[in-house]
Amino acid sequence: MALDMLVVDDSPVTRKMVRRAIGLCGLEIGQVWEAGDGAEALSRLAEHRVDLVLADINMPVMNGMELVERMNADPDLSRIPVIIVATPISEQRIERLLDIGARAYLAKPFRPEALKDLVLEILGKGESHG
Amino acid sequence: MVDVTPELLTDILGTVLQDSAFMFVEPDQEPVEWSDKVFAASLAFESVRGGTLRLTMAVPAGVELAANMLGTETTDPEAEENGRAAVSEVLNVIGGAFVTRYFGAKVPSQLGLPQAMLASRPVSGRRTCAALVRTEAGDPVLLELDLE
Repeated sequence: MALDMLVVDDSPVTRKMVRRAIGLCGLEIGQVWEAGDGAEALSRLAEHRVDLVLADINMPVMNGMELVERMNADPDLSRIPVIIVATPISEQRIERLLDIGARAYLAKPFRPEALKDLVLEILGKGESHG
Repeated sequence: MVDVTPELLTDILGTVLQDSAFMFVEPDQEPVEWSDKVFAASLAFESVRGGTLRLTMAVPAGVELAANMLGTETTDPEAEENGRAAVSEVLNVIGGAFVTRYFGAKVPSQLGLPQAMLASRPVSGRRTCAALVRTEAGDPVLLELDLE
């Protein structure tokens, strides 16, 4: 089944890069929506059903951490996995993101294969070994 | 905390340009003559010490960066339109790489939001350290660090 995704980043170039990586990674992709910050992301999520959110951290208006917290507090949105796609950050910040409900962290720049592996793992579609 | 040296900045700059946009660069020595306009971006950071990173790219280098990040050609109007945004984003990645390497991955650090503009000349600062590289086409790219 095709995956519908929401890409959240204040940089239009990065949103296009992530869309390109999604297209290259070999997953069956349906609709890919975009938002420029966390607040816009919540509006998109109110309008569209998605299977996965890929979000940056440092954004104006509402950053990625607040977006994760707001989604986790909403019963309708808490089921949607969020992968944080951001610049290298401290281990403490990664732990904090996972504590508040993000499912994974992927450091920029990343290879499309790394995104694919992470998505498959999170959605429980990874290859079984042994 | 490692020593901040031109070699450290050159390594971070070269690695990020290569990994983000398949741009291969060679270290060079200043002074550099900036012809025409430049893309100038700055990014503040807070950690054990605060400071600012500044990235200056010749316009053709910024357009090449955007084209490579978007998977298009430098002649594509989309590449030219996104040069400033591409320089801003690559400085964001450089900032993350810098704070985790300089202060360490276990030390809390905070990046600001990158600001980029098309300028007639590089924006000057106190400049603790700097690294100059050139793209394969010979266009200059300058990364400067101002530590507080």
